[in-house]
Formats: sequence, structure tokens, C-alpha cells
Amino acid sequence: MNARILVTAIFFFMAGCSDSGDDSGFAGLAESVPSPSDNGGFLQPGPDVGISLPEDFGPHPRYRVEWWYLTANLVTPSGAPLGLQWTQFRQGFRPRDPAEAPEPDSWSLDAAWMAHAAVSWRDRHWFAERLARADTGAAGAEAAPLDIWLDDWELKAMSGTTWQLNVRSHKPAAAFRYDLTLTLRGKPVLHGQNGFSVKSDSGEGSMYFSLVDIDIRGTVTIEDNTIPVTGQGWFDREWSSQFLKRGQQGWDWFALHLDSGDKLMAFRLRGEDQTFVSGTWIPEEGSPQALGNEDLSLAILDSRDGYPVRWHIEVPGHNLDLQVAAPPGRYVNEGRFPYWESPVQVEGNRTGVGYMELTGY
Amino acid sequence: MNAAAALFSHYRRHPLQLGALALMILIATMLWSGMDHLTDQARSSLGRAEQSLSEGSRVIREDGAPLTVADFARLRRAGLCVMPWLEVPDPDGVGRLIGIDPLAAACFASGSQSGEQPALDGEPFIDIARAARLAGAQGDGAGSLVLLAADSVSADRLPAGYALAPFARGPDTGELGASFLLNLDALGVLVLLITALLLRAVYQLSIVQRRDSFALLHRFGVPGGRINGLLMIEVLVLAGVCVLPGVWAGAQLARALGEGFGRSLEGLFDVTLYADGSQWWRPILVMMVVVLIACLPIRTRRHWLQRSRGVGWLALALLAIGMVWVAGSPGLVWTFVAVGLVFVGAGVLVPRLMAGIMAALSSSVDDPLGRWRYRELGVMARQLALPVVALQFTLALVLAVQALVTTFEATFEQWLDQRLAAHWYVQVPEGRSGDRAEDWLAHQLTSDTAAWHRILRGTVMVATGAGSSHRVDLLAVSPVGPLMKQWTLQSSLADPWQRLAGSQGVLINEQLALRYGVGVGDSLALTLNGRTQSRKVLGVYADYGRPFGEVLVNGADLPADFQPEFESFSISPGGRGKAWLVSGLQQIWQVPEIEIRENSDIRTMATRVFRQTFVLTRAMTFLTLTLAGTALLIMGWVFITSRAWYLQLLVTWGLSRREALGELMRVSLGLTTTVSLLALPLGVWLTWVLVHRINPQAFGWSLPMAVYPGFWLELLALSTVIGLGIAALMGRQLRPGRMVALPANQSGGGER
Repeated sequence: MNARILVTAIFFFMAGCSDSGDDSGFAGLAESVPSPSDNGGFLQPGPDVGISLPEDFGPHPRYRVEWWYLTANLVTPSGAPLGLQWTQFRQGFRPRDPAEAPEPDSWSLDAAWMAHAAVSWRDRHWFAERLARADTGAAGAEAAPLDIWLDDWELKAMSGTTWQLNVRSHKPAAAFRYDLTLTLRGKPVLHGQNGFSVKSDSGEGSMYFSLVDIDIRGTVTIEDNTIPVTGQGWFDREWSSQFLKRGQQGWDWFALHLDSGDKLMAFRLRGEDQTFVSGTWIPEEGSPQALGNEDLSLAILDSRDGYPVRWHIEVPGHNLDLQVAAPPGRYVNEGRFPYWESPVQVEGNRTGVGYMELTGY
Repeated sequence: MNAAAALFSHYRRHPLQLGALALMILIATMLWSGMDHLTDQARSSLGRAEQSLSEGSRVIREDGAPLTVADFARLRRAGLCVMPWLEVPDPDGVGRLIGIDPLAAACFASGSQSGEQPALDGEPFIDIARAARLAGAQGDGAGSLVLLAADSVSADRLPAGYALAPFARGPDTGELGASFLLNLDALGVLVLLITALLLRAVYQLSIVQRRDSFALLHRFGVPGGRINGLLMIEVLVLAGVCVLPGVWAGAQLARALGEGFGRSLEGLFDVTLYADGSQWWRPILVMMVVVLIACLPIRTRRHWLQRSRGVGWLALALLAIGMVWVAGSPGLVWTFVAVGLVFVGAGVLVPRLMAGIMAALSSSVDDPLGRWRYRELGVMARQLALPVVALQFTLALVLAVQALVTTFEATFEQWLDQRLAAHWYVQVPEGRSGDRAEDWLAHQLTSDTAAWHRILRGTVMVATGAGSSHRVDLLAVSPVGPLMKQWTLQSSLADPWQRLAGSQGVLINEQLALRYGVGVGDSLALTLNGRTQSRKVLGVYADYGRPFGEVLVNGADLPADFQPEFESFSISPGGRGKAWLVSGLQQIWQVPEIEIRENSDIRTMATRVFRQTFVLTRAMTFLTLTLAGTALLIMGWVFITSRAWYLQLLVTWGLSRREALGELMRVSLGLTTTVSLLALPLGVWLTWVLVHRINPQAFGWSLPMAVYPGFWLELLALSTVIGLGIAALMGRQLRPGRMVALPANQSGGGER
């Protein structure tokens, strides 16, 4: 999961709103959508939907929201850690059949796209945001060969297991770019039940799969300083129409690369009276295992600027007792809906690195 | 029956009077609020044209083809911050709407120096999807896509095949724009003034008729304050009921006149009229106040203005001061103040003058009937002073506007004939140069019957003798040939065209000559692409309808690196066919289509634009005239009703009904004819002011002065119709059975 759904921000942007408050959840993700039985309503995900690849790398215009999301824990030649995020969101305003794209010169607003890019280095954070109307050609996504783009930001498949990510921000206050080659290893991990990841006791959720073992090489340029980087990445693919339950305000999400080669994805959704916890344990050998409320605990140890930046994560069934902490600094993506997005260091009975996303604070 | 019911029962007895009053408030509100609506929009559009956005850049295709969504996507995918801009006519209102994509505009905030997104909310800005739908519904050419470029987009970052061009939605109209608005405001104020006079007059008569009712109520113990209060409620209710539909009708009027008005704005200032949310409450408030002011203080004693002898001299002095002041006023505002003084003076003098003339005439005749006739006319001039003055003002205004428009029409036709001397006009496509086409035409068109020239337009800095520099338009023509030589010059040295062809100087338009005080034989320092040259002024040409100064140079004198903003060819082919021209230019410019515009098409379009330019002025004056005529008719009728007892005396004296009617007709015709005749000098003077003072001050160019006696006769005929109308209504009073003997103190106006 991730800063997801800032997509909805676009909806609010278009509607002239600027506040995510009340029951609609972070970025309006708990907004009710018409049920699929309603005429013209968006489809709802469920355990029976299943994941089809490579088709599900492409867009789902019959669902309301979706995103493609990459985080990377990289190191510079001097060994200094450098974190990096790229996300592209699609927000549908009208459901439609994938084959029924409107004519570009109608400037139709069936959907909007938003992309976020951030670099975290030496306790500093650079962030940029892009927006685009769907169906003009300025932004879009294709499943095979994979191509996701918005303006000149693009994640593109060069071969079956090699992708290229190019992002450049011309913002005077955040001038950076990155040009990375991603080498995919391992199979996609399906979260939850057959790829359906439940987000509340009442069954709201999303279709969700990840590529958790990605080797990354390339360069990151920050303020005219080009730095070669190497490291590992985590790619998420998620879509839904009713992401949050009404009353849920936001989430805390973690994707951890343990030095043992195991991976852990964990999140908690904060409701008015209870929180919903879920995750996936991905051992280096063997099959991924879904984690529920009883398998996993997340507790805040320290906060900074109103954000919980140090956590205690326990998975007793897999003997995990971890302290997860963000480095010093402020890692808020100051877009239309601000949220925290930072690399983290893992300590405890295992060590490692990862990414943390905190929304709705 | 309570006091209120007793007071308002007057209208039950005189429903037509109530209807007339209501109709007048409604029409007056419609006229003024329609005018105000358009002026407001013009003000807002002129303001927007001067906003910083008008100084930005746009991306164009070097092949001259129109931009499409694919171009937008290509530029965005090249990392360039561009946003679409689609202007379409507003189908539900006046002006144009601008379709934008707020999502694409977001990068303007991050890419701009200020870090702020341009303010693009609210009308005329709409989502581009809606604009695209409107453009589709209105057919081809309803809107063409513009791609605005942010500050961060530089020419070297553009993909091959694209170039940057200035995005100017209108030049700096400066004081001229303000003058144009002032003109509209002045016309609006005049309409308001005439309206107030008419309302006051009609309402005053109804009050005179109700004096006995007031006295009776007072005798029954109703205090004067309460009667006044009830009258105030009456006026408020009447105003409220009539002003609201009047404002609605005004919006419809503005909509109907909007297209013509928009073209005026475009023709005069290159400024597009954009749709704008109007303040609906303002016309309501203004009209309520006007109605209250016009009607409420009605029960005061007769105004000192009508009694004091000194007032006549004061009015005469105002008239004289205004006339002298107009001749030397330094600016438009002072001109309007001076015109106001003349109107006030004339307004006070005319009824007195008419009464005086009638008194003198009645003393000079021995015939009792003639004496009665003149006396009666004198009474009418005094009693109907307000509508008489209003009709006189309106007639003068109509006369002056008609003279101005007709003169302009004639001059414009003549000017068009000179300017549109070629058969065909071809614009050089964007991204192409006219150099090779010029060489090609020089080789191809060698016959004596053929003529052509190349036109380049841009801007140039002009330094005048005073040492100040100004940016003015540049018109370059090469070769200077027969197509130019028919131009009428206002003043020139000998052989100006030959000298221009020989690069011995330049010609300037009247606007430049007037504004910067430059004349024939003076030297101008022209700075183009950083290089300054001194050039002698060979002549001054008339350039109607444009607010800007212009220098006409020989194209051969332009520096080689001059980048024109517009380039075209004017061609009289001398027997060669259109296919020859199209294929030749297609080959030179390598474009799929060449558009050749016919002389007749341009002439038709120019004439249409011209006519629409004056639609508003004509409509306003015509409607004001209708209002004034109707008011005088109503007034005459009400007045005569109040004098029925005197009319009856004619019959009592032994006149037959037919003879009495004839006398009535002579009286009413005498009134309206005198008003028309007295309006003539005021109208002619106003024509002079419009042509020689207001027009140059407001628009920067002047016209020859002309008067049209034929139109005077038309106005006289209209006055006669109004007079006959009054007589016909009066005649109803003389029907057997309608006569009611009234004691003198009940007769309206109280004069005998």
C-alpha cells in the first residue's frame, strides 16, 4: 500500500475542495461509490476477482482508483543511504469499458492522473507532483509492454525483466531527476486472499500485488549533483473502488527488506474506535503468508512533527521483534494532500531497510 | 375605506396612467441596465486583456498547421509546461468563454517565478471539455486550440517543428480603452437623466391630479407625514415591481446587442469581449434610487428655478461657458462636463424660451382664437417642461449620433475602396517567410494589368521631437506600387509615394500625428532591432477605426533580421487564375493548403463589423427616442385631460367640434414642432462635439463633419406623429358626453 490514493485528491482539486476532513478519510478514499449493481457504477474488488498478469499491470477504468508505486532503498558509492519514491495514480470519475476511450479532442474528464516523485538523502527530502487529464495522451498506462507515463516521467519495460524509470522535476525548489534501471527478480507476491487485500472488518479492500525483489542501478541528480546509486526496490500495484471504510482516517504502511532476505509488508488502518491490522510475510524461501490482526502488532514508540516516526513491529509467529525508525529529518510529501514517505532503518532481532508511509495525520 | 385605499384609488380611476408609469420604469430600467451590463463586461474584458497573462508565450507549429491534442501531448511528454486554451463564443450570453484544463495549468505554478498559478477560476474560464463540446456544437472555426507556454519553456527546449510566439490577447489600450468606457458611461448617464426627467414629469402630473384627494384626506385627519409616507410606499412598491423585470429585460437586451458590441470592442481595441458574471444587484439599486429621487420630493413647492428671473441669465451663462469650454477642453472628462453644462443651460432655457415666444406671439395677434392658441402653447411649455426638455435632449442626441454614424459609414466605404485595391489576399503561413514568394511574384507578374505588394507588420519604437519614445505599429510595404497610390492623404509633401518608393522617408497615420504632434516634413527616429534611423514624414494618412499610431515604411528599408508578426500579399493577378497562385505558393511554402481571400469577402466582413460597431449606439438612441416620444404622448394626454374644461370652452364659444379639434391639433403640433426645431441647433452642436472633440479624444481619429437635413425632416415627421397622437387623444376629451365642468381650482396645473 502507499500514499495511495492521493488520486482522490485530484477529484477534490477539481471540485474546488482542499480538505480531506470528516468521514471521507484521507484524500477522500472513504467516499462512498455506487454499488456495481447501480447503473454506471464502478466495480468493487473481491476475493473472486483474482490477478491476471500481465493485464493487471495496465489500467482498470471500471474501478475508481489505482496506483503504480515504487520505493527504493539505495546507496551512493560512499555507502550513504538514499531513499526514492515514484507513484502514479489514476482517479476515475466515470467508469467505462477499457475499449471505450473517448476522442482525445473532446478533452473528456473521465479520469485524471497524478504522479509523485521524492528523493530522501542526507536527512533532506525533495518532492514533486504532476497532474494530467486522462485520454489526451499526456498521461496513461499500458500493461504489455509495461509503460506508465505522465508528461516526461515514465516507467517503461525494456524487456521482460528490465524496466527503466525516468523522472525529472524542474521545480525551482525541488530540482532533481533520476534515471534508473530496474531488474526484476522473483515472482509477483499476491497479498491477502488471492490478491484481494481486506482493509476493514466490513470487507472493504483492494486488489493488491507486489514485486518485492528488484535490483536497481542508475543515477540520481540533485541540484546539479549527479550521484550513481545501487540498491533494492519494492513495486506495488493496487486498485479499488472503495478503498477505506467510512470513518477510517488514514494508514501506516511498511515495506521492509530484511538482511536475511525475507520481506515484510505490514499496515494498519486507523478508525474512529478501532484499528485494522494486516500484512504479508514473504520468506526468502517458501510461499508468502497473509498476516491478520492476531498475527501482527504495530505500536508507536516516538513521534516527530506530529508523525509517528519510530515503531515497534512484532510478528510472533515468525519470531520478529523489530524497531523501525525514520532517519532524522522531515519527509512529508507536500502535495495537495500532504503525507509522510520516508526510508526506514530496521533494528531488533533482525536488521534491514525499508519504506514507511503515514497518512491522515 | 382607509387612508391608503383612498390614496391609491387614484390608479383605479386612472389604470392607464399607472400602466404608463410602470411601463416607463420598466423600459428605462431595461435600457440602463442593458447598457450597464455591457459596459461592465467591456471594462472587465479590457482589464483582463491587460493582465500579465496577455504577455505570455504560446507554442505554434512551424508548418503553420492548427494545433491539436496530439501536439499538446507531445509537448507535455517532452517535459514542457504548456496548457490548452480554447476560446469559444458563449452560447447563453454575451462574449466568449475560455476553456482551460486546470490539471495542465498546475505546472504553471511550479514553473513560474512567482510560484503562483494564474487565476483562472470563474467565468469566463470553464473546463476545456465543456468548451470543446460548445466548439463542436457551434461548428468548425468556433474555437481553435492555443497552447500557452509557462515561463520555463524556452525556444531551445521545444521539439523540432515547434516555435514560440507571443500570446497577446490585446494590446495595451491605455487611456483609449478608458475613454471608450467613459463614452459608454456618459451615454448611460444621459439615458438615466432623460429617464429621471420623464418619470418625474409623469408622476408629477399624477400628483397634481391627486391634490384634492390629499386635501380631503388631510381634512379627515390624516396627517401630512402619513400621506407622504404612503406616497413613499407607493413609489417603492411601484419601483420594486417594475425594476426587477426591467433588469431581466436589460439582460436580454445586452444579450441581443452583445455580438455587435463584442465586435465593436474587437474592431476598436483588438480586445475580445469575455462573458462575465454580472452584479445583478447594482442595476436594481441604481434604478430604485433613480425612481425614488425622481418621484419622491414631488410635493415640494414649485421649484425656484421656474420662478426666478435670474435663473434665465444663469442658464444662458452656463450654456455659453459650456460651449467655450468644449472647444478647448483638455480631456474627455472635461468635455463631458462642458456638454453637461450646455445641456443644463439648454434644459432650463428652452421651456422659458418657448413660453416667452408664445407670450410675445399671443400679444401680437388680434384674433382671439390665435391668442388662445399661443397662450395655451405657453402653458403647455411650462407645464410639460420636463418631458419637453427630455424630448429635446433625445432628439438632439439621436440627430448627432445619426450624423456621426452616417458620416463614418460614408468615410469608411471610401476608405475601404482605397485600402482594398487588390483582388486577392494571401497570409504567409506561420513559420514560413515571404522572401521567396516575393521573388516569385516579381518574376511572374510582369504584365501592366497586374499589381501586387508584400505586407509585413510589426512594431517599432518612435522617438518624437520631445525626446520621448513610443512603441507604435509598423506597416511595411514592398514594392510600393499602384495598389497604394489611391490612398487619400490628409497632408503630404509633393510625390509622397514616389519618395516612399525611393526610401526617402515614411508615412504616418493620423493617430500618430495627432497623439505625438508630428507633421509632414518632421523627422522621426525609428528604432528597429536595436538600430535607429532618422526618417522624414512624407505624408499623413487617415486610418479610421484604429486606436494605435502606425508608421508606413518601404519594406526594402527593413533590416534583414526583422521578424514580422504578420505577413501577407495583396495581389491583382492581371488575368492569371487562382490555381496558378495556389500551386505556386504551395510549392514555395510546402504547405498542404493555401487560403486566398477574395476582396469581396474581406469587404463584406469589414462592412459587417463596421455596422455592428454602431448597433449598440443606434439601438440605445432609438429606444431612448421611443421612450421620450411615448412619455410626451402620455404627458400630453394626461395634461389635456386636466384641461378638458378649457377645451370645452372652445365649443361653448361657438366652435364646432371639428373646428375645436383642428385648434387642438394646431396646439399639439405647435408644441412638438417647436421642440424639434429647438432641438436642431443643440443636435448640430452635439454632432460637432462628437466628431471634433469626443471622437478624437476617445478613439484617436477624427472624421469630416457633415449634417444631414434629410434626417432632420424625418425627426420632424416623427414629432408631427407625436403631435397628432396627442391631438387624437385630446379629441377624445371633446366627444359629447365626456365634458365635465370643472371649477378652476381643480384644473391640473392651476393655470388659466
